[in-house]
Amino acid sequence: MSAARSISNEFNSYHWFVKLMMMLVVVGAVSAIIRFVFGLGATTNLSDRYPWGLWVSFDIVTAVPLAAGAFTLGAIVHCFNIKKLEPLVRPAIVTGFLGYSLVCVGLLVDLGQPHKGWHVLIHWNLQSPMFEVAMCVLAYTTVLFIEFLAPVAEKFGWKLSIRVLRWFELPLVILAASISTLHQSSLWTFFVIAVDKLHNLWYNPLLPLLFFMSAICAGICIIILEAISCHKWMGQPNEDELLATLIKILPWTIGAYIIVRILSMIFLGGRPVFDTPVMTWLFAVEMGVGFILPFIMFSRMSIQNNVRFMGSAAALLIFGVIMNRFNVSMFGMMDPNEIYFPSMIESLVTLGIIAAHILLFVVIARHFPIFEHHTEPEEHPLPAYSRS
Amino acid sequence: MSKVNIKKGNVFLIDLTKCTGCRGCMVACKQWNQLQAEETDFFSGEGYQNPRSTSEHTFTLIKFREYEKNGKIEFSFYKEMCMHCDDPACVSVCPVNAFVKTPEGPVIYESDLCIGCRFCMIGCPFNMAKYEWSKKLPLVKKCDGCYSRIKEGLEPACVTACATAMDYGPHDEILKMAQQRLKQFPDRYLDKIYGKDEAGGTGVFYLTSEPFEELGFDTVTKRALPSYTWPALSLVPATFLTVGAGLSALTWITNRRERIEKEKNEKLDKQNSTESKEEQI
Amino acid sequence: MTNHWNDIQHSDVILCIGSNPAENHPISFKYINKAIDKGAKLLSVDPRFTRTSSMADHFAQLRAGTDISFIGGMINYILENNLIHKEYVVNYTNAAFLINEDFEFKDGVFSGLDAASFSYEKDSWTYQFDSDGKVLRDDSLKDPRCVYQLMKKHYSRYTMEKVCEITGTDRKNYMAVVETFCSTGRPDKAATIMYAMGTTQHTYGTQNVRSYAMLQLLLGNVGIAGGGINALRGESNVQGSTDYALLYHILPGYLAVPTYANTNLAEYLTRWTPTTTDTQSANWWGNTPKYMVSLLKAYWGDVATRENDFCFDYLPKRSGNYSYIKLMERMQRGEFDGLVNMGTNPIVGGADSNAIGKGLDKLKWMVSVDLWETDTSVFWRRPGADPKTIDTEVFLLPAASSVEKEGSVSNSGRWAQWRYKAINPPGHAESDAFIIDQWVKKLKELYAKDGVYPGPITDLDWNYGDGHEPDIDMVARECNGQFTKDMVIKGKSYKKGEQVPSFAFLQADGSTTSGNWLYCNSYTEKGNMMKRRSLEDPSGMENYHNWAWCWPVNRRILYNRASVDLNGKPWNSKKPVIAWNKISRKWEGDIPDGGWPPMNEEGTKSPFIMIPEGFARLFASGLADGPFPEHYEPMESPAINAMSAQQCNPAVMAPDNLDNSGKYPYVGTTYRVSEHWQAGAMTRNLPWLVELVPDMFVEISHELAKKKGLQNGDMATVTTVRGTIEARTLVTGRLKPMVISGKIVEHVGMPWHWGFNGLSTGASANTLTAAVGCANTTIPEYKAFLCDIEKGGSQS
Ligand SMILES: Nc1nc2c(c(=O)[nH]1)N[C@H]1C(S)=C(S)[C@@H](COP(=O)(O)OP(=O)(O)OC[C@H]3O[C@@H](n4cnc5c(=O)[nH]c(N)nc54)[C@H](O)[C@@H]3O)O[C@H]1N2
Ligand SMILES: Nc1nc2c(c(=O)[nH]1)N[C@H]1C(S)=C(S)[C@@H](COP(=O)(O)OP(=O)(O)OC[C@H]3O[C@@H](n4cnc5c(=O)[nH]c(N)nc54)[C@H](O)[C@@H]3O)O[C@H]1N2
Ligand code: SF4
Ligand code: SF4
Ligand code: SF4
Ligand code: SF4
Ligand code: SF4
Ligand SMILES: [Mo]
Repeated sequence: MSAARSISNEFNSYHWFVKLMMMLVVVGAVSAIIRFVFGLGATTNLSDRYPWGLWVSFDIVTAVPLAAGAFTLGAIVHCFNIKKLEPLVRPAIVTGFLGYSLVCVGLLVDLGQPHKGWHVLIHWNLQSPMFEVAMCVLAYTTVLFIEFLAPVAEKFGWKLSIRVLRWFELPLVILAASISTLHQSSLWTFFVIAVDKLHNLWYNPLLPLLFFMSAICAGICIIILEAISCHKWMGQPNEDELLATLIKILPWTIGAYIIVRILSMIFLGGRPVFDTPVMTWLFAVEMGVGFILPFIMFSRMSIQNNVRFMGSAAALLIFGVIMNRFNVSMFGMMDPNEIYFPSMIESLVTLGIIAAHILLFVVIARHFPIFEHHTEPEEHPLPAYSRS
Repeated sequence: MSKVNIKKGNVFLIDLTKCTGCRGCMVACKQWNQLQAEETDFFSGEGYQNPRSTSEHTFTLIKFREYEKNGKIEFSFYKEMCMHCDDPACVSVCPVNAFVKTPEGPVIYESDLCIGCRFCMIGCPFNMAKYEWSKKLPLVKKCDGCYSRIKEGLEPACVTACATAMDYGPHDEILKMAQQRLKQFPDRYLDKIYGKDEAGGTGVFYLTSEPFEELGFDTVTKRALPSYTWPALSLVPATFLTVGAGLSALTWITNRRERIEKEKNEKLDKQNSTESKEEQI
Repeated sequence: MTNHWNDIQHSDVILCIGSNPAENHPISFKYINKAIDKGAKLLSVDPRFTRTSSMADHFAQLRAGTDISFIGGMINYILENNLIHKEYVVNYTNAAFLINEDFEFKDGVFSGLDAASFSYEKDSWTYQFDSDGKVLRDDSLKDPRCVYQLMKKHYSRYTMEKVCEITGTDRKNYMAVVETFCSTGRPDKAATIMYAMGTTQHTYGTQNVRSYAMLQLLLGNVGIAGGGINALRGESNVQGSTDYALLYHILPGYLAVPTYANTNLAEYLTRWTPTTTDTQSANWWGNTPKYMVSLLKAYWGDVATRENDFCFDYLPKRSGNYSYIKLMERMQRGEFDGLVNMGTNPIVGGADSNAIGKGLDKLKWMVSVDLWETDTSVFWRRPGADPKTIDTEVFLLPAASSVEKEGSVSNSGRWAQWRYKAINPPGHAESDAFIIDQWVKKLKELYAKDGVYPGPITDLDWNYGDGHEPDIDMVARECNGQFTKDMVIKGKSYKKGEQVPSFAFLQADGSTTSGNWLYCNSYTEKGNMMKRRSLEDPSGMENYHNWAWCWPVNRRILYNRASVDLNGKPWNSKKPVIAWNKISRKWEGDIPDGGWPPMNEEGTKSPFIMIPEGFARLFASGLADGPFPEHYEPMESPAINAMSAQQCNPAVMAPDNLDNSGKYPYVGTTYRVSEHWQAGAMTRNLPWLVELVPDMFVEISHELAKKKGLQNGDMATVTTVRGTIEARTLVTGRLKPMVISGKIVEHVGMPWHWGFNGLSTGASANTLTAAVGCANTTIPEYKAFLCDIEKGGSQS
């Protein structure tokens, strides 16, 4: 059997979904190459009116909160010491690590002078939210990498490192949470500068806080979805019970977000908000479908526990956060006379990045011990949520 | 007449009641900066406007407005350019300090530093930072206030070319000149100096007879843009420490509880185990 | 210009009529703005709302070709409301003069018309004289035969109703302009008129200008600071080129070109030297013999002697009209072998350019001396031409541009300013002086060999150094003039070869030379006055007498003796031009129009020194088409003349290719934009300017666009009986339909800068225009013709 043959056999043995993901990754990579060969202007629909497009809106602004599961869960498990959620931590770290690595890739694709990206390390501008985010993302990716080393070490049986890593675990979790707080919120600070550009439905000085809060919600929901899908498609054990605990937190965080969001809009806006029907619709869908509906669902879940229901609620909230990020970074700044729509290359690169994420997760899940159960479920008191 | 004084911060005064829309400034700018002509087709704005907007090739643009008001035709011209803000958003948002507000007045750009994140473009409230979309390794482009000329004591190229509408000189003198005109001709001017307070104060002042919005000016906040982001950013170290310390404390507490419990359990375990051992024995 | 650019700042009212200075003379706005800052009002009168109009306090739209009505109504308003500057009018103009009893005006025609030959017998257009040959006058201005009363009668027909019916101007706007302008009849107020091609490019263009002049004289606005009538000259040195005899009928300094009838110098001088019996008249043109002889001496040097009439015979004599239009017609008839285009592009700029193209086809050879490959220089490549059938041999000589050579440039304000050479011309480009020098030297050589009547060429005193190029400094010295022998004049002695200090010293006996008497004083023994760059301004009036040099004799404001009252005191002491100092008995301020004492003193002279009678002419007998401007319709017009039965100027012969049948309903007019220059070679090849205005367009009103289904940017076809063009449509509120005698009239406006060659190409507006010119100057009627416009075109 020739090598080619064996490779093709190997390939053929893959699940169709994996094949699709692989194809998307290849197409994405080729698109990225095209982008570098021909330049941003020729390959994207970016313009002076829309200097930031899909890549910033999705690959960075959206991907970062979606990868927020790692630090959220880390904090919940280790700091709040809700140990029964521990089994979810590793998958979350992997997701986070992949997410952040790919954010870096996305950023490099988007930069006009990628070869000078390292300048951020030298020419510090403390006034710049971008500087802060860049530093945090770099630091956090490193932290996640170290955290991710744990399963790697386990797999290869590097005893010493495991011990070192265990020893470091707690400090790293705390560092991760602190850094994340900073950049998850600073990403929002990006748009605090867009005073007269961002529609008032989204512009407000509390943007950083709101961003942080919604990132936590999104991070948790991602974990939920991940756990459900791993159970369903990757033969991993059912984590429903663990998730049930997790969703007890959600009504609190989502509820708090909604309250701050609405209050800040009412009290800190000061300018007309419902003046453009399209914007009003976008806002209504984002808030109604993306936050309020999952809020209601999650709060009822404590009574009626059902995986499908839980999954849909989590998906809705993720949709809400994504929509919120797009509304802020794109739609809310749209000029009705000059609508931006991502080009083919932009879309393919983003799809490729998403596919790479899923693919890598699958590979890692297959080959590294990330779904190991080593803690017994315990009863830990959580603040009870009352619907009254 | 004011002239450049390189020991002071210099500003522009553009009196649109005196602008004839001749566009000499646009051509002078292209010539001094050796900017490429844009390919245009017919007209891309009202009146004779071309090109449609400022860009990597066009640092300054005369915007034409043609409309009817009280049964009379209004035909007006607005020279758009970088405002050389006192506390510029572009300077504050750039992660690598590629933008610099010079003491002479102009806000300049050091292309060597730029990483091409285009945050300056988002940040600029006047949309004056433009990108070299035509290039493979693009840089940011904008009016640099003819810094190379200012340093030599020359006026900016557009000011030199303009026969009627522009003055350039030290901030105080120019501001006084503008205020003087408002006082002297209250009927001719709208009682406002655009740029004096916009974005916390800029290096380009405009006088007009028509409402600014009518002429195509953006309504821009009166606060310096960095003052919006700075409160959040200045909290960064504090946030970091607070969250870090808070979580550490929390961890310590929860873990301590656990440890105590564990120790208790261990003790119990030990007891139990000895007991059972004993039993076994 | 009677005044100059800087002086505009002293105006109280500025009327831009038939000009668009914001776009075509942008620097003038520096001074207009200064005036506005001092409280002046700006008025714009134009068929279109232009960039100038956008700066104006009042804008009045008028139908193209109706300026005489417009101004006629103003004159009427002034006379009816007695707003004239009476002292000025009586003492400085011919308002009080009595006119020949035979003179009459009937139904649009003045006495003496020979309709068949399109000309007037002007015997009756004269003053009444007493037995001593002195003009009869009535200073009370009551005599029905005095100019004032005749004028009053003539313009009483120009009522506001009538005027607005003809011009289509909104009455409110009209009155705003009229009242503002006519408020300056007071001694302490000045108004200026800035005019250009919207005024002159009509079959009665000169009369348009005349009407402005009359308006200004009635208000006492000529000669004063901030006043005058100011022609905004076109090409950067067009003032210089007319001073130096660009036109076919004049020699340098506006001396007449001899005609066949002038068989010798004496005949010539008798014919062209005006005389007067009025001892109070300076009659400056009485010096013609001195200027003519000095010119001949400059041309032919030592060969020119009293015995041989100073070579008067060497001068070509003209037998007819050699104007542009006529030359082009002759070319179309195949009457020329060759053509030299030195800095001109007639296939774009000339009226009825299709016909010009056909004329070029008939040439044996053609030379273009230009900075660029002009459309004319590649005329065989024009659309529709078949190069195979064209035998013309074409030469393109690359010329040096204005910054690549040294010399003087005279601006509209008559300031001759010396320019230094900044850089060397590129490639093989050479200055025009070099090219002409080579031609002359070659001609001399050829004529010396076997020329027929070689004298005029071989005897030419043509010595400008041994350099590669003629020494421009020597040319400038010669233009000023030199003494040909030692002389004592007015008690001062001058050596042979010395520069003549000013034209007052020129002689008719051959002892002086002068290439152009008007420029005598521009290069004296003190040096080249045109090079001066001093910014001192003792009077504070920004006349800058030590900045460059201004003709005549550095006088910055012409007719400045009319700026003072009879005692020599300025009408407006706040803005004095000159003032009589009783103690020193001298004029102070600008160089006066002659140093004689004020009008109330012995030995004075009347202020209008260039006019034989010494008084400004409200009634002008010198013109071809009447002593008073009268409204006529353009050669092609949508309206019937509402003033008289005489539809068009009776002194102009209509060409065949006109169409007034109604088939072409819209008034076509052509003009310039700031961004392009003339026939376009200089700007349509520059990407930075092409970017701003990339292609040919036509402007029409929203109403007309709607009617024709045209949208902004659509391709449209514009047609006249002479040709068809295609252009993009610019739909604008700046052009408005107007009501003319109850009928709606629309304008179709277009720039004329495009041609088929260059970076930006487009249709030439002159495909549409008619080759018919002004009765006096023959400048073509580019500004008013009839056309039709339809949506679409072959390019759409
Ligand atoms: N940018 C630029 N400047 C130029 C030139 C150029 O080509 N480009 N050319 C130079 C030359 S050579 C010249 S001669 C001058 C010409 O300078 P202008 O005379 O100012 O030029 P135009 O635009 O031809 O005509 C002036 C105005 O006359 C108006 N008009 C048309 N018909 C009539 C009429 O019947 N009555 C009145 N009152 N107005 C009328 C037109 O609408 C136009 O706005 O400009 C000089 N300056
Ligand atoms: N329809 C219409 N037609 C018009 C007019 C109008 O208003 N409407 N206006 C008329 C008027 S006022 C004018 S003045 C004419 C102008 O008509 P033209 O004189 O034919 O037009 P320009 O384009 O000015 O031509 C001048 C040429 O001289 C060249 N040149 C520049 N500098 C030099 C130099 O130093 N040496 C030499 N040898 N060449 C040089 C330039 O490149 C240019 O090609 O057009 C007339 N035509
Ligand atoms: S206008 Fe924009 S680009 Fe110019 S200094 Fe201000 S923020 Fe910077
Ligand atoms: S694009 Fe360049 S100049 Fe602009 S913010 Fe980014 S690094 Fe700074
Ligand atoms: S200051 Fe200089 S760079 Fe800026 S618009 Fe004027 S000419 Fe152009
Ligand atoms: S040069 Fe001056 S007058 Fe001309 S368009 Fe520019 S600002 Fe206006
Ligand atoms: S085009 Fe030349 S001559 Fe005319 S205003 Fe401009 S600089 Fe002066
Ligand atoms: Mo002209």
